[in-house]
Amino acid sequence: MTAATVRRRRKRGDGRDAWLLVLPALVPVVLISVYPLVQGILLGFTDAEAGLNQVTNFNGLDNYEKLLHNELFWASFRIGLIWAFGVTIIQFLASLGLALLLNADLRLRWLARTLALVPWAMPPVVIAIMWRLMLNPTYGPVNETLRSLGLPGDINWLGDFSTALPAVIVVGVWAGMPQTTITLLAGLQNVSGDLHEAAAIDGASTWQRFWHVTLPALRPVIAAITSLDLIWNFNSFALVFVLTAGGPGGKTMLPMLFAYNEAFRYGNFGYAAALGNVMVVVIAAFLFFYLRGQARSRES
Amino acid sequence: MTQTLAPPERDRKTRTTSVAPVRRTRTFARPLQYLALLGYVLFLGFPLLFLLSTSLKTPRQLQSGDASFIPDSLTWSNFSDAVTKANLVQAAGNSLYVAALTTVIVTLLSLPAAYALARFKTKLRGLATGWILLSQVFPFILIVIPVFLVLKQIGLVNNPLGLVLVYTVWCMPFALWMLRGYVAAIPVELEEAGAIDGAGKLRVLRSIVLPLLAPGLVATSLFTFISSWNEFFFALVLIQDPELQTLPLTLARFVGAEGQVQLGQLAAASLLATVPSLVFFLFIQRRLTSGLMSGAVKG
Amino acid sequence: MKPKALLGIGAAAALLLSGCALGGGESTDDSGGSTEGPVTLTFQSLAYQDSTVAATKEIVDAWNKDNPDIQIKLTQGTWDNVHDQLVTQFQGGTAPDIIHDESSDIMGFAEQGYLADIGQYLSQDVKDAVSKDVWDTVTTADGKVVAAPTLLQTYVAFANVDAFKAAGIEVPTGDQLSWDDLQAAAKKLATGGKFGVGWGLKQPTAAIMNTALGFDGTFFDTKDDGSATIDVGDGEVAVPEKIHAMAYQDKSLDPVTLTQSGTDVLPGFLSGKYGMYIGGNFLAQQITEAAQPGFNWTVLPPLAGSAGPVQAANPQTMSVSAQSKAPEQAAKFIDYFMNAENQAKLAQGDWLIPASAPARDAVAEQTKDTPVWEPILKTGDDLAGAPFQKAKNYPQWKDQYATPALQQYFANSISVDDLKKQLTDGWQSLG
Repeated sequence: MTAATVRRRRKRGDGRDAWLLVLPALVPVVLISVYPLVQGILLGFTDAEAGLNQVTNFNGLDNYEKLLHNELFWASFRIGLIWAFGVTIIQFLASLGLALLLNADLRLRWLARTLALVPWAMPPVVIAIMWRLMLNPTYGPVNETLRSLGLPGDINWLGDFSTALPAVIVVGVWAGMPQTTITLLAGLQNVSGDLHEAAAIDGASTWQRFWHVTLPALRPVIAAITSLDLIWNFNSFALVFVLTAGGPGGKTMLPMLFAYNEAFRYGNFGYAAALGNVMVVVIAAFLFFYLRGQARSRES
Repeated sequence: MTQTLAPPERDRKTRTTSVAPVRRTRTFARPLQYLALLGYVLFLGFPLLFLLSTSLKTPRQLQSGDASFIPDSLTWSNFSDAVTKANLVQAAGNSLYVAALTTVIVTLLSLPAAYALARFKTKLRGLATGWILLSQVFPFILIVIPVFLVLKQIGLVNNPLGLVLVYTVWCMPFALWMLRGYVAAIPVELEEAGAIDGAGKLRVLRSIVLPLLAPGLVATSLFTFISSWNEFFFALVLIQDPELQTLPLTLARFVGAEGQVQLGQLAAASLLATVPSLVFFLFIQRRLTSGLMSGAVKG
Repeated sequence: MKPKALLGIGAAAALLLSGCALGGGESTDDSGGSTEGPVTLTFQSLAYQDSTVAATKEIVDAWNKDNPDIQIKLTQGTWDNVHDQLVTQFQGGTAPDIIHDESSDIMGFAEQGYLADIGQYLSQDVKDAVSKDVWDTVTTADGKVVAAPTLLQTYVAFANVDAFKAAGIEVPTGDQLSWDDLQAAAKKLATGGKFGVGWGLKQPTAAIMNTALGFDGTFFDTKDDGSATIDVGDGEVAVPEKIHAMAYQDKSLDPVTLTQSGTDVLPGFLSGKYGMYIGGNFLAQQITEAAQPGFNWTVLPPLAGSAGPVQAANPQTMSVSAQSKAPEQAAKFIDYFMNAENQAKLAQGDWLIPASAPARDAVAEQTKDTPVWEPILKTGDDLAGAPFQKAKNYPQWKDQYATPALQQYFANSISVDDLKKQLTDGWQSLG
């Protein structure tokens, strides 16, 4: 909403009305979401461990001191950032391209539009198994296709140290395209045609119109969906877990996978929650600056 | 997301008339566009085709390393095996029950809340935005156990209603966020005009706001439905009775120890689990995009 | 809002400190004794093959018919997720009474106190049926028996008989096959674009730890409290070195397979690309299902190192949750589940080796007409407990150090000395 609309909007009803309307949504949320969230955060300041009748104590910042020196975690954190930014940026560019095409008056749009939703309708585990087959170095259709095109067709996509992370990122892009595409498409359909026509009359080229009319109008949508994508991607791990389980040689060990192992395999709940807290702080800080920057540049 | 993110609001009329703005007249761009579209169709559709061809192959052909897309001989046994072995029909029923109930509850709860957040300027707004973001940022896996303990205390373990409760809370932030955008996109003036005409508040909401909100509701419920339909981990730890298992759980049964996979059956089961959503999409897509068009993505 | 939020935090903190939260779970005062009257117990099975699923169901049905006071309710878990599921269920106090898993996974739970000591409830017959070495793998350092061992997996070499014929070499027979002979055979088989061996070692650590015993490679020296020291010498890395030599010197082992799972490699074996295929014996089931008619295959004699054909035993297990209300009744069912007839039925469905000797005899008798069973059963005679199974930080070392280091070594990107160093340093850094 612009400042003008906000001003136009009179304050209607009072706080109590709002509360009454929000309350039904709030009750289950507090019960199931806020309470575990708070507990999860607090847990990061304890020495909680798995075990029958284990006694848990607060241990202040001990966990954080420990993880500061945990090189494996920071190595995986770096991989996590490459993964999250890689997937988000490529996903955004690919989805924007697709959304532009779907917005243009092309035949067979319905087909592409339906197909664009395919990855969304599949559980991540199935997506991962499917791609593992497709990327099989010997029998997978991807290498098969490369071979038939006369290209080198013996790349061990998920097994080779240099290709594992890029390959996993491509799968991540595939899996996450629907939400982004649909959201951007909706944003595009909101861009006023009048502006375009005016620009066209002024002699602006397609590219210029895209750059000066479409993109600025899309900006808020882009900021919103890329932020969410970044969060989702940073937190995702089912896909990579089935694809590579962090291998080869730790090249795809995402931080979520790392924290998950810490909690579920070694039973260090407190320490794992501390890892989670650190990730939350880093991502939240990044989002804060990103969104503030977006808001500023729009105002100027 | 935050209100600062929202694009300028426009009058509804201009919005609906301004579809498909880019009218390109230059002819050489067209083939390029089709080429690009073809690229996308291949990238997105190829895996689906692969799944289809896998599901029609016999175990023997699958293991022979023959990567050709066309199966030697069509076999439907994977489908029948998948249906009988994993009890797909019952599982689909369970999934449908859980996902549909979740969708209804999420919609009913977030609709008034979204309205309040869009229309009333209270402190709640900042709080809600903060919570929406936080709930998405916080690593899901780390709150699983506290959530589980809460559900146990209220006796909803091994009960589909427990799943419904978890999914409701899990899906609500996003639904609320989207719906708030839709409500905000409906000009306040319409409501005020209705009120001046003497209609009661409830009637205004029912006869003016709700119809305008319909496409948005469709889109939101779709998001909710799919998320609950696909959720795996909570279902895994909360549901123990085989008769209560949801679809993703039964799909996992085709994956054994040490990476053994019953490929053909898994592919068949996955297709059976995916196709209904796709058909649904196919019918609803016009609705969906026009729904999103009217402001879903505003914050 | 503020006071409310503070209240919530306070409540959560109180819960946390009082131990009701993550650390706690159920009180276990009433475990250990037996409950009177009829009980219904849940049994979470991980049976995967259709035949094994059916066999499990038959066993449960038969039991329920004869024991109206102890009813068993069968639920189905999956191997892929059993660990996560159990962690959550134990924490939440909703674990099944009877738990199907494997020894390498449950010893951690035993350490955490989640599994009941069932030694006192099992019958002497069942105890006598299984060797002491195998019982060792399900006994904690302080002497609690936390599971009954059921079926065993070993690593075996499958051979394409026609490929051997074509290369003009004899298919090895006898009591054992040394790794050197395996290497020599592989070299001869590797001609004309084909490889001698394919081995799916995407997750290499378990296979390496298990086969290292054949060279006296014990890795760890474990003390009673679960602490352990590591010593990576030549015996420990003998099998990895052999693999490395076959892959990069002889070029008789396809290095691509080292990055894949066993199932991914199987098509190459079935299509004749690899003359031999190393993997878990359970893969025999998939070979029988998927091989073209006329595909002529067999299982080679147990692989032997300098210390003989020894491998570490990692049996599937049946345990009772410490949170169960009726551990004695649960153990009674396990006792029944362990009888030779039942175990033989289950073993054949999965192509696994029963831990129980009478059951092994029964399988041998029932499979007389299927000669490949003989060498598979034979590998079951030389299974031993290994120290790593009792080392407390083993799972973490496996994930964070051993697996990446082995993967790097098998990708030919580090030397064997680097491998030794990474394995040793990794363990020490875990303290």
